[in-house]
Amino acid sequence: MEGIFDMTKKPFVDFQGKKVLVSGASSGFGRAICIELSRRGAGLILLGRNEAQLRITAEQVESDDVHLLKLDLTAFSEIYPHIKAISEANGRIYGFCHSAGVVETRPMNAIRIEGLRQMLDVNYLAGIELARAVCRRDVMTEDGGSILFISSVYSHAGAAGQTGYCGSKGALNAAARAMAIELARRRIRVNTLSPGLVRTTMTDEAFSKLSVEQRQKIEDAHPLGIGTPEDVARAAAFMLAPQNRWITGADLVLDGGYLAQ
Amino acid sequence: MKIEEALAWIANVFEEPSDKVNRDTPRDAIQAWDSLGMLTLMSVLDEEFEIFLSEDQVQDMKSVDDILDVLRSHGMLQDG
Repeated sequence: MEGIFDMTKKPFVDFQGKKVLVSGASSGFGRAICIELSRRGAGLILLGRNEAQLRITAEQVESDDVHLLKLDLTAFSEIYPHIKAISEANGRIYGFCHSAGVVETRPMNAIRIEGLRQMLDVNYLAGIELARAVCRRDVMTEDGGSILFISSVYSHAGAAGQTGYCGSKGALNAAARAMAIELARRRIRVNTLSPGLVRTTMTDEAFSKLSVEQRQKIEDAHPLGIGTPEDVARAAAFMLAPQNRWITGADLVLDGGYLAQ
Repeated sequence: MKIEEALAWIANVFEEPSDKVNRDTPRDAIQAWDSLGMLTLMSVLDEEFEIFLSEDQVQDMKSVDDILDVLRSHGMLQDG
């Protein structure tokens, strides 16, 4: 019983200054996650390609411990040296949230290998390489850490025109489970978050290629309506938080009931 | 490769600070040199130096000096 009373006294999510690297920090989920993490006491490394947009995120976060890292995620060989340099200059990193992602909606008969490869590069391979860099013993905090990949309900359910995107997100979920097993010995947790339809610039672009009827059908498939980046950000902070030390290899579906049907 | 470069290379493979790895460092003093670490060592020796070792050979290595011996015997290490 004493343990239960102790739990009520402690903050549910408190990063206590621990540093978290967030990819895709220049917009959408990534920006919202950065803002939420900063409110929960995290230091931040904002990773993205667009420096002007990263600066806008930096102005919105509520932390003095903020660093920008401008990097093209498909330049894989540059990832580790940059992560190593920023951790040497500013301190070890506790967490990583891979929020960067791209989507190209194409029916099967119009799929291009280049489009598939781009989604795999950004959504999957860059996430793995970033996690590899952050998890190195000379980069991550010595008492463990937390990795979170922003996946999608499309890692669980299919959708017309999303063969490449579904594949890239499904790969991410499968890889995260393997990483969770391998890294548990070092107290590093690895999880995924699978949001349903959330209004962002990226989903607006994908939606613009669908008919009005298709768009309405997708919206109607979310019993609680479509989500906001802030919904995703709160769940991401929960999954990354050091207090949730026993959650690993898990996928948190966050979809307003989309997959429950 | 000179000895200092080889030690820095080994430290990087096992994600240790360079000053924590020297000739006499035993395997059990390097946290990452566990069963997965042996696989890592096998793969980087193969990829970077085309040195192919069996699992048994890697298993027999007990210290940093044993890795240096392998590099030396394949002409990758210049002493002195």
